[in-house]
Parts: sequence; C-alpha cells; structure tokens
Amino acid sequence: MSVNVDERVSTPTEHREPGRGTGTPTSRWMSRLAVDKVGAIYVWIAIIVVFSIWVPETFPNITTAKQILNSNAITALAALSVTIPLAARVFDLSFALNMTLCGVAVAHFVVDGVPLIPAVGLGVLIGLAVGLINATVVVGMKIDSFIATLATGSLIQALITLVTNDTPISDVKLAGGFSKIGQTTSQGLILPVLYVAVVALGIWYLLEHTATGRRLYAVGFNQDAAKLAGVKVRRLQFLALVTSGVLAGTSGIVLASILGGGSPTAGTPYLLPGFAAVFLGATQLKNGRFNAGGTLIAVLLLGTGTTGLGLANAPQWSGSLFVGVVLIAALMVTGLQRRTTLAARPVPDKSEDLASA
Amino acid sequence: MVDTSHADPRGGPGPATLADTPGPQPVLHVRNLSKTFPGTRALDDVELDIAPGEVHALMGQNGSGKSTLIKLLAAYHSADPGAHAELEGVPFEVGRSVPDGLRFVHQDLGLILELSAQDNLALHGGFARGFGGRVLWRQQETETRRVLAAFDVDLDIHRPLAAATPVQRTVVAIAAALQGWEGGGVLVLDEPTAVLPHDEVERLFEVVAEVRRRGMSVLYVSHRMDEIFQLADRVTVLRGGRRVGTYDVSALDSRTLAGRMVGDDVDPDFRATVVAQVDQPVTLEARGIRGKWLRGVDLETRAGEILGIAGLAGAGALELPYVLAGKADAHASGEIRLPNSSPDWHDVSKARLDIPLVPADRQTEAVVAEFSVGENISLSALRSLGRRGRLAAKAEAALVESWSERLGVVSAGPSAPISTLSGGNQQKVILARCLAVGPRVLVMCEPTAGVDIGTRVSIYQIIADLAATGLTVIVASSDEGDLLALCTRILVLRDGVVAEELAADGLTKNVLIRAIEGAEQ
Repeated sequence: MSVNVDERVSTPTEHREPGRGTGTPTSRWMSRLAVDKVGAIYVWIAIIVVFSIWVPETFPNITTAKQILNSNAITALAALSVTIPLAARVFDLSFALNMTLCGVAVAHFVVDGVPLIPAVGLGVLIGLAVGLINATVVVGMKIDSFIATLATGSLIQALITLVTNDTPISDVKLAGGFSKIGQTTSQGLILPVLYVAVVALGIWYLLEHTATGRRLYAVGFNQDAAKLAGVKVRRLQFLALVTSGVLAGTSGIVLASILGGGSPTAGTPYLLPGFAAVFLGATQLKNGRFNAGGTLIAVLLLGTGTTGLGLANAPQWSGSLFVGVVLIAALMVTGLQRRTTLAARPVPDKSEDLASA
Repeated sequence: MVDTSHADPRGGPGPATLADTPGPQPVLHVRNLSKTFPGTRALDDVELDIAPGEVHALMGQNGSGKSTLIKLLAAYHSADPGAHAELEGVPFEVGRSVPDGLRFVHQDLGLILELSAQDNLALHGGFARGFGGRVLWRQQETETRRVLAAFDVDLDIHRPLAAATPVQRTVVAIAAALQGWEGGGVLVLDEPTAVLPHDEVERLFEVVAEVRRRGMSVLYVSHRMDEIFQLADRVTVLRGGRRVGTYDVSALDSRTLAGRMVGDDVDPDFRATVVAQVDQPVTLEARGIRGKWLRGVDLETRAGEILGIAGLAGAGALELPYVLAGKADAHASGEIRLPNSSPDWHDVSKARLDIPLVPADRQTEAVVAEFSVGENISLSALRSLGRRGRLAAKAEAALVESWSERLGVVSAGPSAPISTLSGGNQQKVILARCLAVGPRVLVMCEPTAGVDIGTRVSIYQIIADLAATGLTVIVASSDEGDLLALCTRILVLRDGVVAEELAADGLTKNVLIRAIEGAEQ
C-alpha cells in the first residue's frame, strides 16, 4: 500500500515522455543527429562549405580529403591513446614524449641491425614499460596524475636525450621495411589511417560494449561512488595508464616510420592537438564522456580547418587561432547546455525536444 | 483558527486564505508566486506570510516546490510574472533581486572547507582592509571573534573548517549569513539538520533561538517532523507545487502534518512487520572490528533479520557499515565470515566478500550524477551481464527494468539522467544497485537521509519485504525513526564498542535515545 502512496504522490514530478529507446526509428535517428550531440559535425560541414567557396580550385576535391586523413592520422592515434585514461579521469601528459622515445628507440634498433619485427616489438615493450611506470607512480604511490606524468615525462626526455644526443637518427636502413609501416599507400591513403580505424574501433568497443568501459566511466565521474559500488578503482586506473603507454608507444613508432627516422622532438608537437581533440571529442556523441567516435570527429574538424587555412594561404598563426577558438566555443556551448538542463530539471534530455521540433 | 485553508487540504489552497495572519504586519509577504520550467509547473500560485520574530517552517515532500520557493527568494531562479513580494512593507522583485533583510544559509552551507572560519566569514562579509588593500589581520580576527561570540561556539578560527564538527560549520555559515545585519528581516535555513548528527541538532536549535531572540524571523525548511514541533511557531505545507495551508504548530500533531504533506494518511510511526529470527542460520559473523572510532565490535546476524546500529557521532555507528562491507580504509581491522559461503574467517580490510553497501552520503558516495538511471542501477552487477567482459545490452535492460519495477522507481525511463530524480527515488536506485547483485547480506548507512516521508515508508516496506525472503539487513542510522521502523534488534554503540543490545519489540523512542546517549536508565 505504501508503495502505491509513493507512486501517486510522486506523480507531479513524473515526466513520461517517449524514451530514446521507445521512439520510432526516425525520431531515434533524429535525436542522434541533434545539435547538442554532434554539433561538431555541423561545424565541420560549415567549414567545408566555407573553404569550398573560399578556395574552390584546391579545397573541394578527393585529393584534399585524402590529404586531411593522411596528415591527421598521427594526431588521431595520439588523441585515441589518451582517451581511455581520461575516461577514468587520469591524465597522461607523458604520452607525447613516450611517442618520441619509442620512435627513436626503434629507429636506433633498426640502425643497429636488429631485424624489423623484434625491433618494433622492443619499441612496444618500451611503451608498455613507460605505462607501467606511470601507473606505478600514479596509482601505487598515489601521486596526482597531472603532476606525476609531467614528472615521468621529464624522465623520458632525459632518456631520449641520452639515446639520441639531441641529433636525429637517420640511416639508409630506415628506408627499408621500417618505412613501410607508415608510408605504405593504397588508394592515396597511407596505412596509418587504417591503424586509426582499428584502434578507434577497439576503444569504441571497450568503452561502449564492455563492463570495463562502463566501470572506467564510473571511476571518472565519481571515484568514491564507484569504489563503494564494488568497482576496483585502482586496478582500472592502473590498466588505463598501461594501455595509454602501449598505444602512445605504438603511435610513436608509426610516426617515426612516416618521418623515416628517429627525431628527438617528433612526439612533442602532438601533445596539445592530442588533448584538444580528446576534450573536444568528449563534447560529441556522448556528451561529457570521452569517446572514440567523438575524438575522431574532433580530429577531422580541427584537421579540415587547419588544412583549409593552409590551402587558402592564410597566415601561419591562423591555424593555432582556429584550434583555440573552436575549443573554447565547443566547451562553452556544452557548459551552457549543461547549465540550462540542470536549471530546468527535472526535465528529460533536451535532445527529445529538438528531435520532435 | 488553525487550519487557514478553507478548502479541502487535498484540493490545494482555497481562493482567499491566510486568514490568521497575526496582528502585526508580516515581515515577509509573498503573493501569487509561481515558477514554470519547461514541461512542469514547479510552483503554482503560492503565498507566504512570515510574522516578526517567528520561526516559520516550510515543509513538503521532495518535489513539492520547497527548494524552488527558496531558490526564487534567493533570486537563483526568476519567478513567473505576476508575483508580488514585500519585505517589511517594501516591495521587491522576487526572483530578480534579494533585499538586504533576507539572508540565506543553503543546504550545502556555501563554505570553503579548506579555509578557516575567519577566512570564510571574511569572504561573505568582506576583509578589514588598510592602505593599499592590505588585510588588517588583527582587526579581522577581532571582528571574527566578535561575530562568533554571539553564538557561543568553541572553535579555532584559524583552522580549516574541514576539521570542525558539522554543527560548528553550520554555526559559521549562519554567522556568515548574518554579517552586517541590522535587525528585522528573515533568515532562511534550508534543511540545516540534514547533515547533523542527533546530539548536535539541539545545539543548532539554541542558535536558531538566539537568532530569533535578536528579533529576526526564521524560515526553516526541513524534512524532519519532530524538529518542526520543537522549533517552529507556524508551518506552511507545500504539496505538488501548491500551498496546502499554513497552520499553527501547537494545534497540529505529526499524523495530521504528515497527512497534509502526503495528502493521505501515512503513518509517521510506521513499523515494518519483521519477525525476529532466532532459529534461522547465522549469515554474518564479525569479531574484533576496529577502525575509525571503532574499538572492537563483535556481532552476529541471522537470515531474515534486520539489525540496527545506533550511536552518537563518534561512537562508530556510522563507520561500522563501511568496515563490514570491506569498504573502509586500510586502518580497519578485525575478522568477518559469511558461514553460508565458507567457514573461513577473513581480514575485513582485505576480504572480497562483495557485501553491498548503501552509503551514507548519496550525492558524493553513491550516485554517479553523469550516469542515467539504468547505468546507476547496473553498476555493481555488470559482471553478471554478458560474457567475457562484453556487456549485453538486453540483459542490462532487463535487470534495470525488473529492479525499477520491484522498487517502484519513478523516472522518465532507464535512460533518464539520474539527476532528474527526487532524492527518494535516487535512494531507491542505489538500493536497486545493491540488490541487483543478489546479496545474502545488505549493509545500509543512513538509508532515508533526505528522503521524504512517503518514499521513506515505501523504502521501509521494501526492506522489510526483502528480509521476509531471507535477506539479512544491517542498518546504521542517526535517525532513530529508521531503526524503530525497521529493526528486529538494535546494537547501541558507545565509544566504539557495543554498549547495549535492545530488542526492538516494544522499544520506545525515548528508551532508544537514552540508550544512545548513555543516560542511566
């Protein structure tokens, strides 16, 4: 009887609207395409239109599209490698230096005459080792991940300088099998574009369709609640950092192959674009959650903009300006949306209204 | 003269009400106050009159519009057009501006716990500053002591508030809100006792009395009915966004008041019918439990039993559940075993017995605010949903559906954000999460904190029904009502050890409170 009382009393606050799962197929698709979920795609389309009008001779063609995919493959790999730790709210600021380290290490091994496959294997192991060290420092020693990975990054930098003496590693041996890892082309696309697809698919599956993924998000959103709900918080954070170590290391090896040698500063330029793309990606598809699809959309959006600016002969500084403006705008729009939804609660997700509009 | 709403209480306020506005001009006078959110009318044509120097209670269940009313007064939300408000005869635009005579202490107190009492007061009232913006620390300190002295609070004003007791923090928040106050006006206290242990509530009442003695009226929002009877002169009851009526507290009893809030005769003295299970098998044994406040607790529970844990703050009652569930920090020690699954004793700090816990603080320890209702329910049971780590969406949906239904969770569906649910429904979600793992033993801490009375009774009933099917429940609560309503047996902790064991049969609230406080019987 008491349960009935409660049901009836709570009725005023009840808002039964067609849930996302129960809508017609059309409305479900409409809600998936709602501005607050894939806003970046609309911005991306707008950018494509703008550049198609601005530089009609060079921009709107398949070659440019392929060029955008090719030149952003490494940025995408870099961003994807920090997606998992960020989902659990753990920063890995050392990932860019880890990329450099693994790149120069494999280049070094190849030059020293180590066969290709063991050399790459060793490189991946180095990435794994970096991940293990990060995980030990952050989870084992309970040091804040932001500072901890900044510190391990410095250690990695020391190692890089030790190995390379700050001079790029180049040798004819690197032009052989090693260069094929990143430079093999098919249909105008380089092989790393395929790697991106594979890694993104893997991360998507992990975060969306496994219990581990759900637990990673729970840890990221409310660590205490996750722990009290029986989630093994520390183990997940540990594994997340190990995964990002391996992924960043692998990305670094691919990068070295594309560059055709081991540059002691190869990874550094990917630090900020990588994080920018992941954070922008977290505002897409699954609002507030770091996710693979959103990350890819973000990389493409930022990459298209900078490529377009390059083709339009815009000044050098415009690329960075563009990335900064897009990031602030995206995060501001998301923040605004969240505030309005919070202020208007209890009301279901806005996307339903947009979808039916 | 008592029931000012001439209309049937179920039908909401009548046309012309508030007949018994006391002789003097009200301090705060509000008419036609409404607030519409997209899709819902949170507050519908509400009126409120607060007499000078009175403690005026505002009551209602979750979702009744209490918080909306407070947020309108604090100009956090804007009101629908047509509202009229006056403070001490001076009209103001409610929802747009806050007159100086209206002061607020919100539920979360608005304090910065990393900072000292002195800094917190200065952040509200301004720093004493000298030439070049230099803070005059000595003067600041004198001012802080002067402000706090009025409330007779013993507190190191230089230590971070994190080290202060909850009631000390509340007092600092009240003092901060009252800075620069010049008499008259209204102090709004929004659920000030929600986080206070029982023995500290009295202390807060003294502070409220002090505020009233200084000539300020108090608008006091609370869930707890006994407080209203102890403290308030009049009470305004809201239900479903409408004003049910304003009543003299002296002419009400708790049953009538509960009826006004719920709109039906809900029994505030509800007792679940749980039978003591002396001949059932033992389901959990613990011995030598030590940890924060705990200095060696032994206990034993049987199938179908609801064991209560009571105690003052610092007695260890609210810490014990965490240790039993294996969720305390490494400092906890002691041994535990579940004879059903294995005869072995386990170290509580290392045991992985998977005993689910309903934590004390729903917002910080239980709810994952960014998750949907469904994701919150399934969080602990993910392992059972699918194979080799793959999460089977259908199995998850079925689990969520069945538990939402069994516990009567009211929501817009499994994909609705959990933040859109009322406190009581969120608590049901957390309960569902714990039950979804199919436990033999369930541990709960403060099971009905911030839950309105209607939902509270339905939560009691759910727990009692589960116990009837053989589940063992251990309930720790600082609310004696929970323990009396549910338990078959109550362990009273004092100074970290079991001081008394009471059979719940025939136990009265007074006896229980005396036992908790350790008074001679």
